[in-house]
Amino acid sequence: MLTNKRLILAHFWLAFIVFGAALVLGAWQMFVRSPLNAWHFNPEFYYRSVTAHGSAMGYVFPTLVAMGFGYAITESALEKPLIGRRWAWAGFFLVAIGAVVAMIPVSLGLASVLYTFYPPMVGNPFYYIGVVMVVVGSWIWVALMSINMAIWKRENPDKPVPLAMFANVAGSYLWGWTAVGAALEIIFQILPVALGLRSTIDAGLARVFFSWTLHAIVYFWLIPTYIAYYTIFPRAIGGRLYSDAMARISFILFVVVAMPIGVHHLFADPQVGAGFKFMHSVFTGLVALPTLLTVFTICASAEIASRLRGGHGAFGWITALPWQNPIMLATALSLVMLGFGGAGGLINMSYQLDASIHNTQWITGHFHLIFGGAIVIMYFAIAYDLWPHLTGRALESFGLMRTQLWLWFIGMIVTTFPWHYVGILGMPRRMAFYDYANPAISPQAFSVVMSAVGGFILLLSGALFLTVLIRGQWADNSEAGSYRFAIPLHMPARIPAALNSFGLWLALMIGLTVVNYGYPIAQLMVLKETNVPAVYVGAGR
Amino acid sequence: MSEQPLFSFRNSWFATSVGVTAAIAVLAALAGLIWLPLAQPDLKLSGIWDAICSAAGVPRVSSQGNAIQPDFKTSNVVMTSEMLTKPNQVSIGRGATLAQRCAICHGPQGVSDANSPNLAGQFAAVTYKELNDFKTGARVNVVMSPFAATMSDQDMLDVAAYYAYLPRVPSNNLDPKVAAPAIVTIGAPMRNVPPCGACHGDIDNKAGSPWLGGQSAVYIKAQLHAFASGSRRNDISQQMRNIARQMTSEEIDQVAHYYEAQP
Amino acid sequence: MTAEADHGIGEAVAARVERRWATLSIVIVGLLVGMATYIGIHQATMPQGHVETADPATLHLSGEFVESNLGSAVEADGSVTVRAIGQQYSFTPQCVVVPSDTPVKLRATSADVVHGLLIEGTNINTMLVPGYVSDLPVRFKAPGDHVMPCQEFCGIGHQGMWGKVKVVDKPAFAKLAAAKRRLTCVD
Repeated sequence: MLTNKRLILAHFWLAFIVFGAALVLGAWQMFVRSPLNAWHFNPEFYYRSVTAHGSAMGYVFPTLVAMGFGYAITESALEKPLIGRRWAWAGFFLVAIGAVVAMIPVSLGLASVLYTFYPPMVGNPFYYIGVVMVVVGSWIWVALMSINMAIWKRENPDKPVPLAMFANVAGSYLWGWTAVGAALEIIFQILPVALGLRSTIDAGLARVFFSWTLHAIVYFWLIPTYIAYYTIFPRAIGGRLYSDAMARISFILFVVVAMPIGVHHLFADPQVGAGFKFMHSVFTGLVALPTLLTVFTICASAEIASRLRGGHGAFGWITALPWQNPIMLATALSLVMLGFGGAGGLINMSYQLDASIHNTQWITGHFHLIFGGAIVIMYFAIAYDLWPHLTGRALESFGLMRTQLWLWFIGMIVTTFPWHYVGILGMPRRMAFYDYANPAISPQAFSVVMSAVGGFILLLSGALFLTVLIRGQWADNSEAGSYRFAIPLHMPARIPAALNSFGLWLALMIGLTVVNYGYPIAQLMVLKETNVPAVYVGAGR
Repeated sequence: MSEQPLFSFRNSWFATSVGVTAAIAVLAALAGLIWLPLAQPDLKLSGIWDAICSAAGVPRVSSQGNAIQPDFKTSNVVMTSEMLTKPNQVSIGRGATLAQRCAICHGPQGVSDANSPNLAGQFAAVTYKELNDFKTGARVNVVMSPFAATMSDQDMLDVAAYYAYLPRVPSNNLDPKVAAPAIVTIGAPMRNVPPCGACHGDIDNKAGSPWLGGQSAVYIKAQLHAFASGSRRNDISQQMRNIARQMTSEEIDQVAHYYEAQP
Repeated sequence: MTAEADHGIGEAVAARVERRWATLSIVIVGLLVGMATYIGIHQATMPQGHVETADPATLHLSGEFVESNLGSAVEADGSVTVRAIGQQYSFTPQCVVVPSDTPVKLRATSADVVHGLLIEGTNINTMLVPGYVSDLPVRFKAPGDHVMPCQEFCGIGHQGMWGKVKVVDKPAFAKLAAAKRRLTCVD
């Protein structure tokens, strides 16, 4: 039963407004650095835009979706109102105000350091303070998720925690711990310098802290998508979830191994030893496991739904799936993008292949395909599925929804495939301007134009998405009933304590972090001579 | 609900998950810290302990080797982004007195038409660095070198602080209508020429790069040619020679006339 | 009750299929990690084997990264060491000259912020982090020209930070090396 609808809607609306604004910036960036643009613009505008686009899409948008969806899951899966409603609003306002505080210096060009911060470059302190506020706001959500589950378990000692809630809490713990890396970097390294209390900073250590956050944050973005795969998709297409236990194991695997693998972002860095790079590489390989398990469970769940609808044959059942259903379509497109993106990811994580694509456009292509593609398309699906329950009005533009989802998929493929390709050619990322007239890089021009076209398709799709939601505000009232999640094919009679609690898994998560990050961080903290002079950005004018 | 307490090795979930995680971590550590480094001959490791230290990342200081020393004087100034950014009134006052002897070329208010640099409003770090380079001989000029030779470090700091304190005055050549040439706005990336403003203050400031607006075109041109030919070498690690030598004569002309017309 | 019995059988089948897939997944992951390890041992294409430090603010005052020591140096064993720095917004030397088919050790660091270095048309790709020295063994197969952009955002002039690499054949390089002790192809 959803009682705090306004709270949930506020999160989703703010998330999608931020998303829409950042999408416009993204399309503009694709255009200005492509051969289509003949205008000589100030390169600083480009980096300003990248900083805003990255901060909004990376920190604000998915965090708000995870929070809003988390509150919706808490109320509907546990079938009781959220405990800590005031705290939840406080968290929401912290995120909202933090986003504004961060974006003011960015839009003034005082913090064009990109969302990955890049010390020793240091921008205006309010940018970092804003980011910290966003993170602290989300930590309130982490605490609320944990408290709500604990109280429910005390009230229902004999029932397993519903899968959706279990996964939701897994995502919140994952985020709570993974955000610590960037928080340490900002609070103990960057902010003292930005505020003028210190003038040197260890850039190598900062990169290690940031890698702690930067990789696992992807799994935090991914968790709502996986929750939708497991608990919305089978129900929406009229089937059952293939396996409840395997779903729990997948989420547990994310909690345990998503974090201590971030150093694979630093394979080409000189400040971390090769031994630790190898250890992180091994654990990065393991994180493919929950995804492989998920793909199986979801495909099997789809097959169940199809056979219930009369589908038959080894592959013939695929045609009997309800392809008119936007959730069906979104999930299928998401899995295709996840497949391509995951294959690219295996290259990034491998100790040797990484060198050929490190920091090229391949990387930007990769995370746009995974996050912008596979993950965000399911955020659309979640919104379409949940909206009638939040607004009390039906979303009826199914044709528009399908068009929007197809456009998003096509746009993402057209954008990211050429992006990967120019990366293999060696095109570096994050440059405001490329001189395509030069023979050394002119072969890359056509692919960049393709990517820019894809960017505009994505912009169109984003506009359609907002149109569907806005049109829904004027639809007739209709009772959507209570919000439900998929039921497993075989309801487990008993669930082992290990699959119904997090103590063990959090202990393993923290233990592995200490093993994989402890020495590299401790050693760099002791090292004093690598504190280098800060380079202040945007302060000279 | 469960038969065994979770945190006990008799619970198979606990035993398996802890055991498997620990086994993977130990195997990965053995391979990464011992086996792989020893398999690389070019690391020239002396044993297991050396392999572990090297692969764990125990830092060592860069080996000095037999570095070839320059046969000319290079700048010995250590530039940082926050250098001399906090003005000090006493220093400015002393600088005002000292600067009287600079007025004949640089103007009583730090601005002149003598084709020598206008110093009013110049970043203090820039004025300080150039004075210091004249003093050490990293930069040579028949007029400036003798002046700088007699100045103490504090004198140079004070003069720099004073000129930074003076307001920038538009030159007689001010003309905001002059359009920025491409070499200024976007540079020539493939020739390694970034936009001038990325360092010189109109977009962002790189420590040690002077504000160029209102400087004499003759002076800017002379310096760019001097950097390009290598007759001026006090830019640290060639940061300006790298750019100037990639510019054509026409581009140098365009830049000089553009900046002369700027505030 | 037959329905319940069917249900039990179904559940067992489902669990068996699932276990098989999980096993296969573990095998796939193990295979990938094993492949990376195997290549690491047999082709020695590994990330940098040690951590080394250098003070970015004083690179120009002393040590191996002083201006006159940058460029390519021929070592006693016939290999070549290239020393370079990255700074806002150029590499010094701006043009690196190396012989083909010769072991080359590339040593580079940053004088200010984080930079990166990649040589298009090769797999050479490393970060330059101020305070630390990047050191990697490389080899160029054939003579030719490559561009060497900075691959990490290093400030507003980042897009203008492009260096060059000129690979020349061994005799041509030897001739150059006879005339000078530190070689570059800066004109």
